[in-house]
Amino acid sequence: MKEYIIRLVYVEMLGHDASFAYIHAVKMTHDDNLVLKRTGYLAVSLFLNDDHDPIILIVNTIQKDLKSDNYLVVCTALNAVCKLINDETVPAVLPQVVELLGHQKEAVRKKAIMVLHRFYQKSPSSVSHLVSNFRKRLCDNDPGVMGATLCPLFDLITIDVNTYKDLVVSFVSILKQVAERRLPKTYDYHQLPAPFIQIRLLKILALLGSGDKQSSEKMYMVVGDIFKKCDSTSNIGNAVLYECICCVSAIHPNPKLLEQAAQVISRFLKSDSHNLKYMGIDALGRLIKISPEIAEQHQLAVIDCLEDPDDTLKRKTFELLYKMTKSSNVEVIVDRMIDYMISLNDNHYKTYIASRCVELAEQFAPSNQWFIQTMNKVFEHAGDLVNVKVAHNLMKLIAEGFGEDDDTADSQLRSSAVESYLRIIGEPKLPSVFLQVICWVLGEYGTADGKYSASYITGKLCDVAEAYSNDETVKFAGQFSLRSSVHEVEA
Amino acid sequence: MIQFVLLISRQGKVRLTKWYSPYTQKERTKVLRELSGVILARGPKLCNFVEWREYKVVYKRYASLYFCMCIDQDDNELEVLEIIHHFVEILDRYFGSVCELDLIFNFHKAYYILDELLIAGELQESSKKTVARLIAAQDSLVETAKEQASSISNMIAQATK
Repeated sequence: MKEYIIRLVYVEMLGHDASFAYIHAVKMTHDDNLVLKRTGYLAVSLFLNDDHDPIILIVNTIQKDLKSDNYLVVCTALNAVCKLINDETVPAVLPQVVELLGHQKEAVRKKAIMVLHRFYQKSPSSVSHLVSNFRKRLCDNDPGVMGATLCPLFDLITIDVNTYKDLVVSFVSILKQVAERRLPKTYDYHQLPAPFIQIRLLKILALLGSGDKQSSEKMYMVVGDIFKKCDSTSNIGNAVLYECICCVSAIHPNPKLLEQAAQVISRFLKSDSHNLKYMGIDALGRLIKISPEIAEQHQLAVIDCLEDPDDTLKRKTFELLYKMTKSSNVEVIVDRMIDYMISLNDNHYKTYIASRCVELAEQFAPSNQWFIQTMNKVFEHAGDLVNVKVAHNLMKLIAEGFGEDDDTADSQLRSSAVESYLRIIGEPKLPSVFLQVICWVLGEYGTADGKYSASYITGKLCDVAEAYSNDETVKFAGQFSLRSSVHEVEA
Repeated sequence: MIQFVLLISRQGKVRLTKWYSPYTQKERTKVLRELSGVILARGPKLCNFVEWREYKVVYKRYASLYFCMCIDQDDNELEVLEIIHHFVEILDRYFGSVCELDLIFNFHKAYYILDELLIAGELQESSKKTVARLIAAQDSLVETAKEQASSISNMIAQATK
């Protein structure tokens, strides 16, 4: 039977349906034999999600297994609990799991904590009274248990920083002990002492120190130490260094640490490895908010990344450019972004970049001309993906002008808009949002400066209505504008 | 948090999948197809990270297998790359010079090891020795159970002779 269930797990993994076997897997979990029980639990956690009906049958078995003498049985049950329990069934197993926090086997304690973390993610209210247990486990003898406690604590701190400020000292001292290699050798990974635990601690310290000068001051020494001691030739060493940089950029600024961070970033950007360049660009983006002059030093490296054939690196560099945009460089940056956007096939990302372009254009546009041109380009190539609100904003802007009471500038703007739209209107396959804008502008302002006769404008609008006769919104916009331009003709 | 773990061969065959969030069977197939397309098409010198939907996917190629882990936007990519390496090292130690065939024929054991390493999408244990010891304990209980079963059947066979 065990063999069959294993084969069926494989079958389901390949995408075929094996739902007739679910009930057999559930029955196998009842078995006393550890081999069968373990396979049953594995199958059940792979087959089912937490909203399936057979879960109810299993909850009883899980409750029994959590009380078992054999710690391996308890472990297997805890593994399954993580996947299968949802917020309705949490109360059924919660008391036992809490008891297991004090089990003599560290493997059990560790899993119990992770299970409580999962419960917290699924239904925070049911676990809120247990926070003190997490604090106790932080001081557990076994480093594995302590490391596991950092997970739920990180989530709790993300939601509510202030309750945990008193733990800053404990975290700093734990980090110091880890960095000084006082944990057992088994936690060393590639000659680095417990790097995964270091990374978790750095993330927590970043949260606790952010915006708080006092707490940040307690962290400076230990973070500086890690910068110095960390081995930058190995991947994991670089991972820890990256996390240090993230921490430094989040907490109250310290010039010495910022300098060390800048040095690490230089090293990342100059390396041959694409991965390190990617991390370097990301770290640069974080530091820029605190010390913008860093960007200048690495301009060349950033431009190299932009030209790189690697798509992931390009996207990351665009993120960085977005953060670096000011009125002096907005034109260059937005032009690049639009070129990239035109080359994209992936709609999800195209929408994202289009909205970034629009944001930057609205914020930093050096001149109205440029703004209209840029918006036209964005609409032309990604019109259907852009939020309709953007189109309305554009129309509003053209109607009301840019807030200055300069009528000549406003009417110049409108005539240039009209010119550009008349040029574009002949092109095939324009997105419908764009067409609506065009029609409306032409209808309202087509004859405003007297260059084009009303009948010419009307003729163009009729062409549009004919060409896009299956698009209702365009037809409607076209007709609406026709009406206003017809008024012009009559007047 | 790690959303899911995938092991895909170079030809696009799925060797292991573990989902830490609820995905229906249809969604799983769609995800597998999309990601296989993206990752298998990437050249060797490029980044080991891909941005996909609102997540990031970290992947690494070992011989003929691609190990992929999908993570949230605020997770440390290099760390996850090392978690993948950690997993591979543990598999290597357990199977003794692991190859794709080992994972095909003993995929349930690979699952047991993954369950000791990651739980609910987070790294559970960063010490190789502890993971190895726990798996060995489970295996030895399995062995004892098998021995007991065979010895009991022996006794019964003897008794009924």
